[in-house]
Amino acid sequence: MIKKFIHQFASPKTYLMQVDKAYSYIFLTSLIIYLVAIFWGLFLTPEDFVQGNSYRIIYLHVPASFISQSLYLGMAFASAIFLIWKVKLSAYLVRSIAPIGAITTFIALVSGSIWGIPTWGTWWVWDARIISTLILFIMYLGLISLHDSFTNNEKADKFLAILVLVGSVNIPIIKMSVEWWSTLHQTASITISDKPAIDTLMLYPLFASVIGFSGLVLCLVLLSSKLQILNRERNKSWVKKYV
Amino acid sequence: MFNFAFSSISEAIIMESQNGQNHGLYVWSVFGIVFGTLIITFFIYRIKIGNLSKKIK
Repeated sequence: MIKKFIHQFASPKTYLMQVDKAYSYIFLTSLIIYLVAIFWGLFLTPEDFVQGNSYRIIYLHVPASFISQSLYLGMAFASAIFLIWKVKLSAYLVRSIAPIGAITTFIALVSGSIWGIPTWGTWWVWDARIISTLILFIMYLGLISLHDSFTNNEKADKFLAILVLVGSVNIPIIKMSVEWWSTLHQTASITISDKPAIDTLMLYPLFASVIGFSGLVLCLVLLSSKLQILNRERNKSWVKKYV
Repeated sequence: MFNFAFSSISEAIIMESQNGQNHGLYVWSVFGIVFGTLIITFFIYRIKIGNLSKKIK
């Protein structure tokens, strides 16, 4: 029953039609939320007692960091669906998410490094959180290279899905790295179980920036998946009619 | 809750903190990198989709 449901709603053609319908709404809403959140965070929130104004980088760094890990979980989920139910769209999505994941991880690493200069006195330290995030970035690049190195797309999809699932072990390591090891990177300020260690004046724009940035990144994933589907299905008659 | 943290545009650009350090350079660099990367990525995907659509046609 689940297999039938997935196959019915996960045809690349149906997916593209839905993407075209939803894209503009998601993009505009996310852009407005993100711009408001950034304005709120950069100009309206008070200065931090310890970090001064450099803490305002949080509104740019945290969303990128959160999304870089979430995208990998999304890839792992799509990989599992592809391997279990052989849904073609899932394989396309795995390949589409990888470059966007690499870009967001790059933003997270660079913004974190720049934030490190005024707060830690250095732009780079070999601590567990930063190394595991760097590994995530290298993994994204490796996955893209692996897929592109195959001439047979079906084989490439299968290898990519398996490797994504194996690599997903890095996500809990990134998350827990600040707890398991002594790191220069601070521990999580927001957890599910405890009250946030960050004041609500700073917390609300942070939530808004995460929502807005996630929406914009989702739009990039939609564009990337559209490109992937058009490229892979280019010889199908429906694609010729579609373009 | 919605009071401006800075009294002028130049203050907002420099972002001088209570410890005397100017943090504007760091904050605005990250701002530029994030928005620049997003805009360029959107632009590249739009162009790629346009080119591929032309090829398929």
